[in-house]
Amino acid sequence: MGRAGTVRKSFAALLGVVWLVPVYLIVVNAAKDRATYNQTSAWIPAGISGLWENLGIAWTSGHLAQSVSATAVYAIVAPALAVVIGAMAGYGIVALRLKHGFFWLIVIFASTVFPLQMLLMPLFIGYVDLNIYDTKFGLILVYTVMALAFSAFVMRNFFTGVAREMFEAAVVDGASAMRIFWRIYLPLATPALTAIFILQATGVWNDLLLGLTLSRSQEVRPLMASVASLQGVYGGTTMPVLLAAGLIVSVPTILLFLLTQRAFGRGLALGQF
Amino acid sequence: MTSTLERTVAPPAVRRRPAARRPYRWTARAFVFPAVALCVLLLYVPFVWTTFLSFTQYDGFGSPELVGLDKYAEMFADPAFVNSLLNTLFWVLGTLVLPVGGGLLVAVLVYGLSGSFWYRLPFLVPYAISGVAVGVIWTLVLQTHGALDQVFNLFGVDDPPRWLLDSPLNTLTMIVAAAWQGVGVNALLFTVGLQSIPKEPLEAARLDGAAGWKLFRTMTWPMLTPLTTVVVGLAIVGSLKQFDIIYAMTQGGPGRSSETLALTMYKETFINSDYGLGGAIAVFITVITVIASVIYIRRQLGAAKEM
Repeated sequence: MGRAGTVRKSFAALLGVVWLVPVYLIVVNAAKDRATYNQTSAWIPAGISGLWENLGIAWTSGHLAQSVSATAVYAIVAPALAVVIGAMAGYGIVALRLKHGFFWLIVIFASTVFPLQMLLMPLFIGYVDLNIYDTKFGLILVYTVMALAFSAFVMRNFFTGVAREMFEAAVVDGASAMRIFWRIYLPLATPALTAIFILQATGVWNDLLLGLTLSRSQEVRPLMASVASLQGVYGGTTMPVLLAAGLIVSVPTILLFLLTQRAFGRGLALGQF
Repeated sequence: MTSTLERTVAPPAVRRRPAARRPYRWTARAFVFPAVALCVLLLYVPFVWTTFLSFTQYDGFGSPELVGLDKYAEMFADPAFVNSLLNTLFWVLGTLVLPVGGGLLVAVLVYGLSGSFWYRLPFLVPYAISGVAVGVIWTLVLQTHGALDQVFNLFGVDDPPRWLLDSPLNTLTMIVAAAWQGVGVNALLFTVGLQSIPKEPLEAARLDGAAGWKLFRTMTWPMLTPLTTVVVGLAIVGSLKQFDIIYAMTQGGPGRSSETLALTMYKETFINSDYGLGGAIAVFITVITVIASVIYIRRQLGAAKEM
């Protein structure tokens, strides 16, 4: 590699350090004591004395505690449902050879093309009419549907690669279509299912727009909508608390992402083809 | 059983009975039904409904009243909409230059280095966090007397530009914030693309004396085309819908100066309760998304044919 390699390495490392500067700033300032916080010295660390207090304030008076538990439910249940329903669709199309299967796949997949803006008003009006506005059920429903198209698409592609003989052998052994799905196809697809689940769970956790539109109360409102309103309520004086809130909502997804980076990459690769 | 002669002559599809070929006809339908039903109810029906509302005057009470194309005329006559359209255009162009170009740069720079994962890592951290959290962090950086201003002060500039208060500067600085978040995923996608490039032609070109920029331009870049198509397509569609970072940083302000179409649509609908106008903007976003995608895909297909 020689000198060119060294130059590339130093440049890449330098760029990486620059990239992490905002992360440095959020950590340093989220740890500052609120009473003595002075926004004109953002770069200078001032110990970590305020960190736990700021996290605590964000957690309790920012009502993040409620939002975190509600959002955790959304981010687990909705992608799990989407993965299973999507896998069922993929299985029906590929293994059970649904008539015009490709057409139905397109029907499911084309729905991702709509900008969210096209859906917000009717979802809001419809949710109010059906009394599921501002309910956990309503949010789980909409998040499931949002994750569904991608899930069905990837699972259909995955099942196409499963040997047909496997299905036929199971049929000869007398297994029902349902049993073959749960006992053979779904377990085979675990890596793909995991990748989709992680991607979609992160998407649900990070959602702002649907949460803003379809919920209002503290108990139901997802995390990002809560944090966004936190920014409105507090002024610049409690910047450390706002930053602490930013840390609380970011750490889970960063950890999840780093721990599953390979699956993530695979998920992206699956999504393209 | 049919005779051998018949079997070779008759097309197989006609010869086989449908029932025998699709023994799971109803089971298959039952398996696919939930996904299709959910998509129809929560995506297709709302899509049609919004289109309908865009031709009406409706404030959420009573019933929508048909007004033809009035809402579209109102939309184009609204200076806030025109400004929002311009900002959205900035976002599209800015997203193509910064996150896509930056992602390519990082991917190529780091590709093949030992420990490349660790060099990519700093760019992936922002990708894992939400638009709202990105907005919070960059507010700290860009607010008046914020972290960036302090750097300017250090170099003796006492009144640095008002990053979030002046238009169109506030849109540009928010594009930078979005780029900070978006470079990582594009780098990852381009890395996948680089990994899929066959090694032999590259080696051959290298033996012929191609290196550095020339090697990239003549060999690597053309072979990345399929992936670039995906990345650029995603970037265009994504930037046309940009909402979270702006909502978290300026809420479209000061005034309505940094709104994008997605924000204008949200405000007209849920703050001004003008469902007709909100619908018209939503339809407009959809139409330009489709047009951009079609132009882009056709251009790519044309380029592929020429090669």
